[in-house]
Amino acid sequence: MNLNTIQNYIFHKLDRPLFGALILILIIGLINLISANHQDISNTISHIVNIIIGIIFLYVTCNIQTRTILVFAPWTYSIGIFLLIYVNLFGIESHGAQRWINLGIFNLQPSEILKISLPLMLAWFYQKCASKINYRVHFIAGLLIFLPFYLVTTQPDLGTSLLILFGGLTIIFLAGLPTKFIISSFIGLLISSPFIWNSLLNYQKERILSLIDPFSDPYGAGYHSIQSMIAVGHGGIFGRGWLNGEQTNLRFLPETTTDFVFSVFSEEFGFFGVLAIISIYIFMFYRCMWMVSKMQDTFSRLAAAGLTISLFVSLIVNIGMISGILPVVGVPLPFFSYGGSSMVVSLISIGIIMNLYSNKSLIAN
Amino acid sequence: MDKYYIKFILRNRLNFITYCFLIFFLLLILRFFYIQILQNNYYSTQALNNIIKIVPIEPARGLIFDRNNTIIADNKLSYSLEVIPEKIENLSVLINKLSNVVTIDNSDIIKYKRILSKNQFSHTIPIKSNLTNEELAEFSTHSYQFPNVELKETLKRSYPHGALGVHYLGYINRISKKDLIILEKEHKKKNYIGTDHIGKAGVEFQYENELHGVSGYKHIEVNSMGKTLRTIKNFPAKEGRNIHLTIDLTMQKIAEKEFKNKKGALVAMDPNNGEILAYVSMPNYDPSLFIDGINHKSWNKLNKSKDKPLLDRAINGLYPPGSTLKPFVAVAGLKNQLRMPPFKINDPGYFYINNSRRFNDWKIGGHGEVDIIKAISVSCDTFFYGLAIELGIPKLNKTLADFGFGIKTGVDLPNEKPGLLADAKWKKKKYKKKWYVGETAITGIGQGYTQVTPMQLALATSKIAFPNKSIIPHIKLNSQHLKQNTGLTPPINISDQTIEWVKKGMENVTEDGGTAAFIGKTTAYKIAAKTGTAQVFGLKKGEVYDEKKVPDHLKDHALFIAYAPAKNPKITVAVIVENGGHGGSTAGPIAKKIFDYYLTSGSR
Repeated sequence: MNLNTIQNYIFHKLDRPLFGALILILIIGLINLISANHQDISNTISHIVNIIIGIIFLYVTCNIQTRTILVFAPWTYSIGIFLLIYVNLFGIESHGAQRWINLGIFNLQPSEILKISLPLMLAWFYQKCASKINYRVHFIAGLLIFLPFYLVTTQPDLGTSLLILFGGLTIIFLAGLPTKFIISSFIGLLISSPFIWNSLLNYQKERILSLIDPFSDPYGAGYHSIQSMIAVGHGGIFGRGWLNGEQTNLRFLPETTTDFVFSVFSEEFGFFGVLAIISIYIFMFYRCMWMVSKMQDTFSRLAAAGLTISLFVSLIVNIGMISGILPVVGVPLPFFSYGGSSMVVSLISIGIIMNLYSNKSLIAN
Repeated sequence: MDKYYIKFILRNRLNFITYCFLIFFLLLILRFFYIQILQNNYYSTQALNNIIKIVPIEPARGLIFDRNNTIIADNKLSYSLEVIPEKIENLSVLINKLSNVVTIDNSDIIKYKRILSKNQFSHTIPIKSNLTNEELAEFSTHSYQFPNVELKETLKRSYPHGALGVHYLGYINRISKKDLIILEKEHKKKNYIGTDHIGKAGVEFQYENELHGVSGYKHIEVNSMGKTLRTIKNFPAKEGRNIHLTIDLTMQKIAEKEFKNKKGALVAMDPNNGEILAYVSMPNYDPSLFIDGINHKSWNKLNKSKDKPLLDRAINGLYPPGSTLKPFVAVAGLKNQLRMPPFKINDPGYFYINNSRRFNDWKIGGHGEVDIIKAISVSCDTFFYGLAIELGIPKLNKTLADFGFGIKTGVDLPNEKPGLLADAKWKKKKYKKKWYVGETAITGIGQGYTQVTPMQLALATSKIAFPNKSIIPHIKLNSQHLKQNTGLTPPINISDQTIEWVKKGMENVTEDGGTAAFIGKTTAYKIAAKTGTAQVFGLKKGEVYDEKKVPDHLKDHALFIAYAPAKNPKITVAVIVENGGHGGSTAGPIAKKIFDYYLTSGSR
């Protein structure tokens, strides 16, 4: 075996363009995090560890039998739901929400697991019912979505629960929910929106209201939004330079390593830096969707599309949030934010998409 | 697999989603273009506002010294814990937490609330002042627990001599709403941005402009906690000028000590130039009470006390001059060619006006043969009844005004009262009644409507010592104020020979037969003096004043004016002891102590 064959053997299932772009983003994210965590070495090291663990998971999920993923889909979903219930009862509280389970070496965030297991579960379910997809099937799919959505909402973590809901609904949409039904339920939603508003918690209402005019409450709900926009705007065309973001260094910017990690990047690297990162993300998104379009079976298509959409919806929500066009809902930026669960889950999602693509013909029919 | 589904529905919907996402991405890019490029200036300014704070620097207040460089008003380094009221969510929680580190008692909390309610100006308000070294160390190690509590290092005014001389020294207090309006009007508000205190009384008020100095400021970089990271620009404050007073603090101490617990006032002055050497108003109070705003209890105690400690008796206390007015009445007579020696009267002990109204001399049986010299030394009432009537009020008042009665002396202290020289016109206006001759007579012996301040008495006495000088009493050494106001009262314009008769009369007061003879007996220098007794209440017809029977607060005021040495006057003293009885016996000894200190002690 020559070197080329070994390379081919190791990497034959990895989609090289996607993986290349991913590595690029991870490296930029790492460099940015050094600035965002105020050059805290231990923080940086644990971010590197998260990346390495995530890459290993990606490699493993990319190379396992596709059938295994299919078989395990209902199990991951059940385990995810169980953990969600568990976290609601015994989880660690932080910022007024229960989101983590303490596993000794690290804290697990079960709602992140649902970002993978829900698309897999739905895809598995539609695969099972592929021959006779009707309203009953869509309704059961809806229940499968509603269960984790409800559990995450009660943590309370509105941002993540909406992402789960949206990811799930797009799968139903792709599975062929009739257009008539979509339009009529959309109208129904509009009519019931006042009632939904009333059921929101105060802090959620405040966050949404502060979006409309963040400056109306600059020291309360709007504070994060304003400080983030100041950091972004301060960056200008070319940015303040790496490690030189004043808003970051002087700690005006909140949550610099997680939710507002991209504000740090925007201040230090400016509009061109932002343009570069968004371009890489667009490329990755486009590549993923292209891969979906090449897949042959319902499970692969729906699972891969669901995972892609989950990833990139949180990406758009996060960037929209830090630039002040979306409310501050606490959604991390995939591949960029600090946080083990999010990093590993995002990389596993990419691994599964690559796996499904490389096996595009294996489980067909 | 349903071919139709794949070909039409799935492909279309995948494309739809892809396009939606691409549109979102495009919107995000446009958003960043808008914020980072189009709105860059705006956000950069906002960023700068976040980071750069302009902090005023309070100038160190000028110190106040006496004429011998003894410090009277000092600045002491003091540490306080201050908070921004808007940043405190729950005061009692904070106080509870702070109590673990420093002692915070109820008075601190009351003080905090009082300052908060009156606060117009300050960004921060002290919640605990004057930290001890232990508390300072304790807080410093726990300061991380109190992100909203600022340890402030300030120069705090201190009055090391307590109540001594409080009435001329005055005090500072926190800037009030009223002060602010005045500062605004005088365009000085900008200079007070970093200042919490302002002079409210006495020299602290009078020389506020000099003492305050010029405010500085600095641009500092802060982080989101408001913690100072570095100073970018520094425009240091210009500290206030130090002020030297004409006061001799040792003399001041002696004078106040001599008053014991008696009420009254004393002004000691250099008659050559008007420098005030001692300035007493008793009872006094501690000016330190006011520095951070006086608390209700202390204020009520001071304000409602019937002894009126807040009243500055030296320039605001109005007293009938009694017999101390006689030398000045004598000068008025002599200036108008009346009672020129060797003119004498024979005093039977009473004086009749129009053979009907009888005015008694204080001495039953009278003084016998009395010329103007003896009239002063024995304080003969009969002599001055006649002189005053013959002179008439207009001429009498003219000379008294030349001595400074009825007008402000121009002393460089706030709120001086002018006193009163009454005449027919004044009485008509005030009481709608006509003036009686009898009122002219009693004006001649210092009773009636005439009201003087101790400061006026000291000035007038100095003008007997030096009738051709035009001095202005002042309390600031080398006063600019002196030059501007020269000539507030004109020279008396009397020949040396003529004034010598009055001086002789005053010298004889402290000799055998004089009203204060006992004072002159033990001195190595000659004192020219005049005693006085001012009635606090009128006796009913036929009633005889008996000092032992009258309650304390209705007893006569004792007055004493003097200068010494008689031939080369170096110091003038005017003393009033409220309800002190006869002037020679209570007020005189106080003056003598001053003279002894000034003229015979080693310090001179």
